[in-house]
Amino acid sequence: MKTFSRLTIGQYYPGESFIHRADPRLKIVLLLSILVTLFILSNFLGFFYLFLFFLVAIVVAKIPFSWILRGLRPLIYIILFTLIIHFFFTAGEPIARFGPFVVTEEGFKNGLLLSVRFILLVVGASLLTFTTSPIELTDGIEYLLTPLKRIKVPAHELAMMMTIALRFIPTLLLETDRIMKAQISRGADFESRNLLRRAKNLISLLVPLFIGVFRRADELALAMESRCYRGGEGRTRLRVLTMRGKDWMAGMATILFLLSAIYIGRL
Amino acid sequence: MKAMKTHFLTRAAVIAALYATLTIIFAPISYGQIQIRVSEALTVLAYFEPTAILGLYVGCLIANIWGQLGPLDVFFGSFLTLIAACLTWAIGRLFLKSSQKTYIYKGSLLGLLPPVLVNAFGVAFILKIVLGLPYWITVLYVGVGQTIAIYVLGYPLLIVLLKRKVLSEEEGAR
Repeated sequence: MKTFSRLTIGQYYPGESFIHRADPRLKIVLLLSILVTLFILSNFLGFFYLFLFFLVAIVVAKIPFSWILRGLRPLIYIILFTLIIHFFFTAGEPIARFGPFVVTEEGFKNGLLLSVRFILLVVGASLLTFTTSPIELTDGIEYLLTPLKRIKVPAHELAMMMTIALRFIPTLLLETDRIMKAQISRGADFESRNLLRRAKNLISLLVPLFIGVFRRADELALAMESRCYRGGEGRTRLRVLTMRGKDWMAGMATILFLLSAIYIGRL
Repeated sequence: MKAMKTHFLTRAAVIAALYATLTIIFAPISYGQIQIRVSEALTVLAYFEPTAILGLYVGCLIANIWGQLGPLDVFFGSFLTLIAACLTWAIGRLFLKSSQKTYIYKGSLLGLLPPVLVNAFGVAFILKIVLGLPYWITVLYVGVGQTIAIYVLGYPLLIVLLKRKVLSEEEGAR
């Protein structure tokens, strides 16, 4: 039975680099712009430009390349599947033949293009999660959602929920571990090959978890109310987000770069 | 927007935490080739627990932020979970007035359909747009994983929770 003590939660790679210290709001907005750009680009030259951009960002943020590669590992199957589907099942000019299967030029190009875009999407997103702590990310999301309060999106409540949930994840990991061990000592089998039996045993884990979790939730609500928590109105913050001059400049530079990448990548 | 009740907020938050925790613990089967997310079994909570709707959404958001599949999963995947949870809740309301037996057995069987269907069709659509994968194969592929997580694991769980009134008893104590 594995224990969860060495499990890392999230992907934050702590650091002091310029990218780490940049305003989380800026990073989220830039990530969104990068994603849109990736979908506008339609040739490899454009992708190569963005690849260079990511490379510079990774070096500046001092993130080890092994981390980036590790993040891509779970995607190998879906990328392979995409490549196979496109290589062999696209109509067009044949360029190679494997037995009954024919690879077409269009299929080859399309498959590679879509896979490269997908990999860049994931690397771009992990640049954000590698350099931004979960709490900063939540603060940034709350701030960016604030204008949506007018259409009744509960921005503060959602962010508060994320913050509380993040705080509870380690606690629940420990609790799950504890309950699992207790149930194993009573004969539960969480590693059975039989799916039905395994599912049945998981219920003996989930029910106590639920009860414990809801008790915690109600205790927390009581504690918050007795400290006069009244929702987001007029609440002050411990960390106030600020855009520094450097952040503005980096933001502008990135947007200019993306625009030029679009100009080149559409040719 | 009227301020949410604090206990509503904290309950939704712990459901979110639970969803994220289960996704992390059972990661090997939640992100692999066939996606069986054990945490998807929690979608059954939306059948009788309104806080679960937002809780599942936030939980899915957190799990997806670290779930490698990247931003698409964060925006669209979590949104699909939200839609499915709303539908499940609505079906739960419909059956509330019928007999206890229908509510527990038949109603929940129907109420668990949205998380399977919405995800199967929605995720397949996203994968078709992004990676150009064939639609119906992907529907099947996602659907099988979801069906296992929800009907093999979630359904018995829901019946246990409803029968023993695990959560409503606490409701009465407050």
